[in-house]
Amino acid sequence: MKRRDFLKYIGAGVVGTGAGLAAAKIASPPGAKLIPYLIPPKDMIPGVATWYASVCRQCGAGCGILVKVLEGRAKKVEGNPLHPVNKGGLCARGQSGLQALYNPDRIVGPMKRSGDRGSGRYTPISWDEALKTVAGKLKGLSDDGNADKLWLVSSSERGHLGKLAEEFMSAYGSKNHIEYDLFQNKNLKYAGGVTVGTEDVPFYDIENTKYLLSFGADFASTWLSPVGLSHGYGQMRQGGGKKSKRGVLVQVEPRMSLTGANADKWVPARPGSEAILALAIAREILAKGYYRGSNAGAWKTLLAPYKLASASKATDVAAETISKIAYDLAKTTPSLVIGGDALSSYKDGISGQVAVNILNHLAGNIGRKGGVLINPERLLKAGKRAILKNQKMTRFIDASLAGNAKALIIDNTNPVFTIPKSSKIMQAIREVSFVVSFATFIDESSAMSDIILPTNTFYEDWGDDFTEPGVGMGVATIMQPAVAPVFKTKSRGDIYIALAKAQGGKLADKFDHGTFNKYLKKSWKKLYNSNKAMANSALTFTDFWNRLLENGGWWPKSTPRTRTRNVSVASVKNYLPKAAAKFEGDKSSYPLNLLVYPSTGMYDGRGANSPWLQEFPDTMTAVVWGSWVEINPKTAEKLKIKEGDTVSVSTPSGSIELPAHIYAAIRPDTIAIPIGQGHTQYGRIAKDRGANPLEILPFIEDKKSGELALNSTRASLSRKGRAKKGSDDSLVRAAANNFEYGRDYTKIISPAEFAKIGKEDV
Amino acid sequence: MRIRTLIICFIVLVVTVLIGYKLGDTYLTGRTPVQPIEFSHVIHAGDNGIPCQYCHIYAERSRHSGVPNVRKCMGCHNVIKTDSPEIKKLKKYWDDKEPIPWVKVHNLPDHVVYPHKRHIKAGLQCTECHGDVASMPRVSRVSSLKMGWCLSCHMEKKVENGRDCWTCHI
Ligand code: SF4
Repeated sequence: MKRRDFLKYIGAGVVGTGAGLAAAKIASPPGAKLIPYLIPPKDMIPGVATWYASVCRQCGAGCGILVKVLEGRAKKVEGNPLHPVNKGGLCARGQSGLQALYNPDRIVGPMKRSGDRGSGRYTPISWDEALKTVAGKLKGLSDDGNADKLWLVSSSERGHLGKLAEEFMSAYGSKNHIEYDLFQNKNLKYAGGVTVGTEDVPFYDIENTKYLLSFGADFASTWLSPVGLSHGYGQMRQGGGKKSKRGVLVQVEPRMSLTGANADKWVPARPGSEAILALAIAREILAKGYYRGSNAGAWKTLLAPYKLASASKATDVAAETISKIAYDLAKTTPSLVIGGDALSSYKDGISGQVAVNILNHLAGNIGRKGGVLINPERLLKAGKRAILKNQKMTRFIDASLAGNAKALIIDNTNPVFTIPKSSKIMQAIREVSFVVSFATFIDESSAMSDIILPTNTFYEDWGDDFTEPGVGMGVATIMQPAVAPVFKTKSRGDIYIALAKAQGGKLADKFDHGTFNKYLKKSWKKLYNSNKAMANSALTFTDFWNRLLENGGWWPKSTPRTRTRNVSVASVKNYLPKAAAKFEGDKSSYPLNLLVYPSTGMYDGRGANSPWLQEFPDTMTAVVWGSWVEINPKTAEKLKIKEGDTVSVSTPSGSIELPAHIYAAIRPDTIAIPIGQGHTQYGRIAKDRGANPLEILPFIEDKKSGELALNSTRASLSRKGRAKKGSDDSLVRAAANNFEYGRDYTKIISPAEFAKIGKEDV
Repeated sequence: MRIRTLIICFIVLVVTVLIGYKLGDTYLTGRTPVQPIEFSHVIHAGDNGIPCQYCHIYAERSRHSGVPNVRKCMGCHNVIKTDSPEIKKLKKYWDDKEPIPWVKVHNLPDHVVYPHKRHIKAGLQCTECHGDVASMPRVSRVSSLKMGWCLSCHMEKKVENGRDCWTCHI
């Protein structure tokens, strides 16, 4: 290198550094802009959060929430500490609601179909055009005198939105409104009607009970009101808040759930035999003379067939265990028996729930603190749509296949995903000439529609909820928008109103509410005027309404009133099972019982589009981002299946492939698959991930209650391939294995020993 | 041969500009970015004696001190000095309904939280961190905003939990 060149380089370097330094002094680094408001929104301080009280709609429990909003964006959700259902708690699904609001796959505006039905291909249109098209179709239908050929399948709504939809349908002239969700506790409700005379789900006072016998009720994950019941359970384990004895939990279920894992005793009864077990326990209570109520003789005669020895054989539970449960249940006061989805989901699931109530009656638990508390009638009475026989999906499927459905509205529910394929639900929807969806996402059901009207999420909407079950008293929760709609979406209520208006005539006259918000407020004023406790709670309606928004709802301050109800022999005698539940498929070709259960994160499948919930390790198996089939180690050994192998699960109704998880806490004659994955639509996160076990189930809808018998088939297993590490459908677990190699992390101590330890040692 | 020298010169220039920029940005105080409008704190806070919190209204109530919204500027400049070229720029932003893209002088990374509210409540003067803004025609950064700088003040003033990581990194 020449000296001159070297100097040139030095020169360039000096100039460059200088220029760099100078630039640093005046430059604006990317992203370092300070953008002011043009005109600031009212009542808002940047950096200071506003909390809005509302209601969680991630499942049917209706927990009260508080949404933290900063600069108009929802940032975090917490449980509302004032709310009597969840008392400040919130489950994982509730937390992840934000990912529904800000999901990248949300529908951003109205759309019309541009591909085949089910393809999910749509082109954007304006709200004007969308509403005009839908209203035009509906008007055409009713002008032709075919108003009764309009069908509405909506999610179950206990608040004024459900009432509005019902009013819409009746004003239009159609009786075909079905409220459908996969988990609606229909057998539980029906059995309540049979035994205690009300289909309203009672309040199970777990907090104050001393002995809890649960038949497959996974209240720690998904059943009924998981946050509220888990809170009660925590109290029960600590002696109900007072210095008294810690309550005992016995869980009867063939596959251990999270609740089962927490129990003092897990009783893996043979699938389908749980009702027999319950009645054998009942018979034992009578035979040993533990029953203190009336009509002991009649009960004895009724339950005579459920003998200890034969029941023990049918249920695969030792006779001593049955006697012991009977003794503990009857001799511990208060005690409580509950029956969950697993029990309800067999064929003739009503009988199981009836048996549970018989047990509660014989142990004297109905209407007792720490037992089953009958809820008072809800503030807003459930309309016709909530009558169980109106909610059957077979009504729609049969009607449509017979050509009696010309138009269909699918409102915020996903029957195509949650109803077994064998139901012909797809054909039924294809038969309908015009389908419109009110939806937030393109899921399996909305993908079948011709027009999609995008709806607000519950963080952007007005509404209310009259919780079922209440907490021994009525609970009303208000839903208020925490944020303005992120996209061009509308309130579901406003859509009904707009559709009515656009059709003109009488329908429009009846729906002169203006907006859903106005309708809601008007309806609440009516409630307020007719309810003494409400009218006394505040001075004027305006004060009352403001307090409602502030507290997140309305509930009396009193403690639940207890009302005793007797279960009579006459009422239940037609609901007792003769034998254990039957299963589809013969034993030789389908040797295993197949159980499906709502996964803690995905619930009925609605959680699958949230990365947080996908990432959240399953509470029992620690699996993330996928689905699996649980196989007992013995069964797996026999079939030469290893952890992570791809297996095919076949039933008479079809087969799916998914990875195997070797799970010791399940009966060897049973396999289990979580519900929630295996979406074919529903956005980039959910789509094509795992398998949907509902696809291979027989379609059995209970004739009386309408509950789907999900656990009603046998299955066979065969290995398809060895575990593939790192492939897309391999099994990924957040725990490497289940062993601690003698490192003694987990301390095990019996309750009796635990009771002896002084507080200071803990 | 000349071409080669030129190319090397060019490369050296580019590399050193980047190095210089990084050095300046990291170690030198006195960052004085050019702003979209030549707003002068000397005229506003100095000559006219407008208190800081007249415009930065959230300082006492929030972690952010707040940049005045454009309507606030126009509140005065609808009538005051409307023919000045800088005010004409302001008017154009307002008419276009565009916020003014000010350049940050104090730019903290995302993992630090600096609450204005707490510091004002503790009785600190704005000038203790921001310098004598009232005499700056174009605002410069006078403090390094490095962790050591924060901590030395926290320690000197014996701030409760002032050395705790979680006090700032929350
Ligand atoms: S249980 Fe969970 S998902 Fe259901 S309402 Fe409560 S917080 Fe929401």
